[in-house]
Amino acid sequence: MPFDAEPPAEPPTRSARGNEHHLASLLLHVRPECRTAVRATVAAMPGVEIHIEQQGKMVVTVEGPHEGWIADRMTSLHLLDGVLSAVMVFHHLETVADTAPSA
Amino acid sequence: MLDRRDFIKAQAVAAAAAAGGIGLPAMAQTSMVAGEDASLKWSKAPCRFCGTGCGVMVATKDNRVVATHGDMQAEVNRGLNCVKGYFLSKIMYGKDRLTQPLLRMRDGQYHKEGEFQPVSWDRAFDEMAKQWKRAIKEKGPDSVGMFGSGQWTIWEGYAASKLMRGGFRTNNLDPNARHCMASAAVAFIRTFGMDEPMGCYDDFEHADAFVLWGSNMAEMHPILWTRITDRRLAHPHVKVAVLSTFEHRSFELADVPMIFEPGTDLAILNYIANHIIQTGRVNKEFVDKHCNFRLGQKDIGYGLRPENVLEVRAANAKDPTDSKPIDFDAFAKFVSTYTLEYASELTKVPKERLLALAELYADPKTKVMSLWTMGFNQHVRGVWVNHMVYNIHLLTGKISEPGNSPFSLTGQPSACGTAREVGTFAHRLPADMQVNNPTHRAHTEEAWKLPKDHLPGKIGYHAVLMDRMLKDGKLNAFWIMVNNNLQAAPNTEQETYPGYRNPANFIVVSDAYPTVTASAADLILPAAMWVEKEGAYGNAERRTHFWHQLVTAPGEARSDLWQLMEFSKRFTTDEVWPKETLDSNPAYRGKTLFDVLFRNGNVDRFPVSELNPEYQNDESRAFGFYVQKGLFEEYAGFGRGHGHDLAPFDTYHEVRGLRWPVVDGKETRWRYREGLDPFVKAGEGVRFYGNPDGKANLFAFPYEGPAEVPDKEFDLWLVTGRVLEHWHSGSMTMRVPELYKAMPMAMVFMHPDDAKARGLRRGSEVTVASRRGEMRTRVETRGRNKPPRGVVFVPWFDSGRLINKCTLDATDPISKQTDYKKCAVKIVAV
Repeated sequence: MPFDAEPPAEPPTRSARGNEHHLASLLLHVRPECRTAVRATVAAMPGVEIHIEQQGKMVVTVEGPHEGWIADRMTSLHLLDGVLSAVMVFHHLETVADTAPSA
Repeated sequence: MLDRRDFIKAQAVAAAAAAGGIGLPAMAQTSMVAGEDASLKWSKAPCRFCGTGCGVMVATKDNRVVATHGDMQAEVNRGLNCVKGYFLSKIMYGKDRLTQPLLRMRDGQYHKEGEFQPVSWDRAFDEMAKQWKRAIKEKGPDSVGMFGSGQWTIWEGYAASKLMRGGFRTNNLDPNARHCMASAAVAFIRTFGMDEPMGCYDDFEHADAFVLWGSNMAEMHPILWTRITDRRLAHPHVKVAVLSTFEHRSFELADVPMIFEPGTDLAILNYIANHIIQTGRVNKEFVDKHCNFRLGQKDIGYGLRPENVLEVRAANAKDPTDSKPIDFDAFAKFVSTYTLEYASELTKVPKERLLALAELYADPKTKVMSLWTMGFNQHVRGVWVNHMVYNIHLLTGKISEPGNSPFSLTGQPSACGTAREVGTFAHRLPADMQVNNPTHRAHTEEAWKLPKDHLPGKIGYHAVLMDRMLKDGKLNAFWIMVNNNLQAAPNTEQETYPGYRNPANFIVVSDAYPTVTASAADLILPAAMWVEKEGAYGNAERRTHFWHQLVTAPGEARSDLWQLMEFSKRFTTDEVWPKETLDSNPAYRGKTLFDVLFRNGNVDRFPVSELNPEYQNDESRAFGFYVQKGLFEEYAGFGRGHGHDLAPFDTYHEVRGLRWPVVDGKETRWRYREGLDPFVKAGEGVRFYGNPDGKANLFAFPYEGPAEVPDKEFDLWLVTGRVLEHWHSGSMTMRVPELYKAMPMAMVFMHPDDAKARGLRRGSEVTVASRRGEMRTRVETRGRNKPPRGVVFVPWFDSGRLINKCTLDATDPISKQTDYKKCAVKIVAV
């Protein structure tokens, strides 16, 4: 008796409003011997900035136009060679007109 | 604008530094998400996903969850959040959320082959009750069953257990946690007489070595993984060993990396035991005082259907749990054949790595934490392999103290709290009691105010057996709640789907989304989820954590708790209880199951006036009493006073969870050791008080091979598993656009040379086929998972590519948990 599942449809992404600015801070753990290479790769990512580096940890901020942008960078950082983990601490959404937080 | 942005950025950096222990001043909780919108209401809740049990703060506005962030006050995650947790606020708002009951109908009537049409709850429950009554009348109570989950809240699981066992008088109740950690739970009981870890997450900050036995924590438990990386990076002497059948993200931190032949972890563990003994590092005093030795049964089969040749051939398939007492010398002799040479030959792991691993355990100065999830538990010898890791911790006395900790991780938010502690397994009652123990049943009958000798003593169908019994037409009315079994179960095309569509059966699925399982049902009931109801979960470190209802469920969606209790009103005792029971207990006559189970003077004891006026509570408003509190307090009565002590209900709404046993308001971080655990008396030192003699049991077991191995035609090992972005079957995370985009489909990860040898390359479209079924996908040779030659890895989150059509329904014969890590497939170009 065969059965087939429907592939899941791609959920609609909220249309970019163009007036949003998202900012998140991430905590990275980095293999000490890979520090230089990781630093270079991370610094080259658009919208990503390294703020503190201490004992194998890095605090970076990620800025971009929507949440997906933030999530994509968080995932790429987590999976980057030399990076042991990348987790989120803070996220902020700012609109030109007003200010409202978002997840 | 720029100034404000810089200010916010500074705040963000400071918060991350504080969370990472980098020593800038900690930020106040309220500034965690900037933008001081006064109309937001922030409340605490545990995360909805894995068994880690992170605390999150949830913001609601206009009856909708609008934001979440890691809770700085939660000890588990200290403000951190993984990528799934980041999108928690979106899981409830998928476009295809179910909002009304749907019944298969033709010409206005229920019809097995009909199309789904919206019906009222009344109509849905009428049809369902009719089908339940028909089954019970024709074939008795064991023709009905329920498949629940470690995602049920504590009171939902408890209500389900009462309804099935006390109401319908069957133990055909099992959680999907059976697929997840039954092997761990069974081995805990057999070793210590009590379930769940003795240690807790605090061990992360005390251990000198971490050993991952078949667990990819970097992706599956990312927040706990940060605690290990923190410890490793800040303390250069700390070592991390990672064992797996393929290379994955956790190898990035490994000092001792180890890829072994599937199934040979048994031999590695026996070798370590042997090494400890041969090098004279047994903690003799500990072993003499606190341990018993037993010889286990061998050749126990593979939990397949009894007529399968592998079961017929196995000498001891009928009594796999047997064992007999032996002494230390006999145990030492038993493991003595597991030499370094033999272990290396069998596992294909270089000798120096095996030795380095063994030394982490043998060296008395190294505090070691062993961690495991599915690699151990989803194993045809899953109970053995769990026992074997306790063996090496017990031989060295490295247990029940900070940093020395065999620690079984869990995958579901309440696998411990609900599936195990409440006892929603086919063989269990609350507080580790067993259905086949007459004393335990009598105690439960008393607590539930049910007639004497009322509860059934026969162990019910376990998950895989339920599927077989549905297919064979012995189980006819079946309710699936909070899980997606048609995607999760093994060998689904041959053993699961046929049972759901068997004309003799009526299948009900309660879920928030139209999953694969729901689409194969006869009746779909729309469920409220997470903070749409008041809830409680229990995480992997014995932490019980509550939350309030924060928003209303959409449309007519109702919580599983409401569904279970409301459905119980449709049955009277006269309809479903034996005449003899009612003749000798006439007071129960003519009552509904709702009356006897939930209006019993316990569950309905707390009035709605005790509800916190700040929060909604749809179930309590519907039934007229504080439902969750009544159920919790009745349930907590089972464990208080003997080591499962839970705090009073109201306490849990105030705190970020507490680890049981909670005695005199204090939680217990390490069990079984004097000074740390209030149940160990002065002078006892260590006492494994779950067992009457206060001792733990070590078991001697051999290495035995898997049920299916690659051959000429099906020439590759298939290992299935999870990925960072998706949680289990993906029914929630695949509905979050950002997570969907990050990992839209399940690929087959394979070695580039294996691909080349088949004329394939990265991106090639292929069929993955076993003797049982096949699925189509694309090849990934450069991804985050790097299998060695001969092994492929496919994740199971993708409902469009069902890898469980290929897997084998072989289980551990003792725990009945499926082995999803070892079967044979071939891969061919499409």
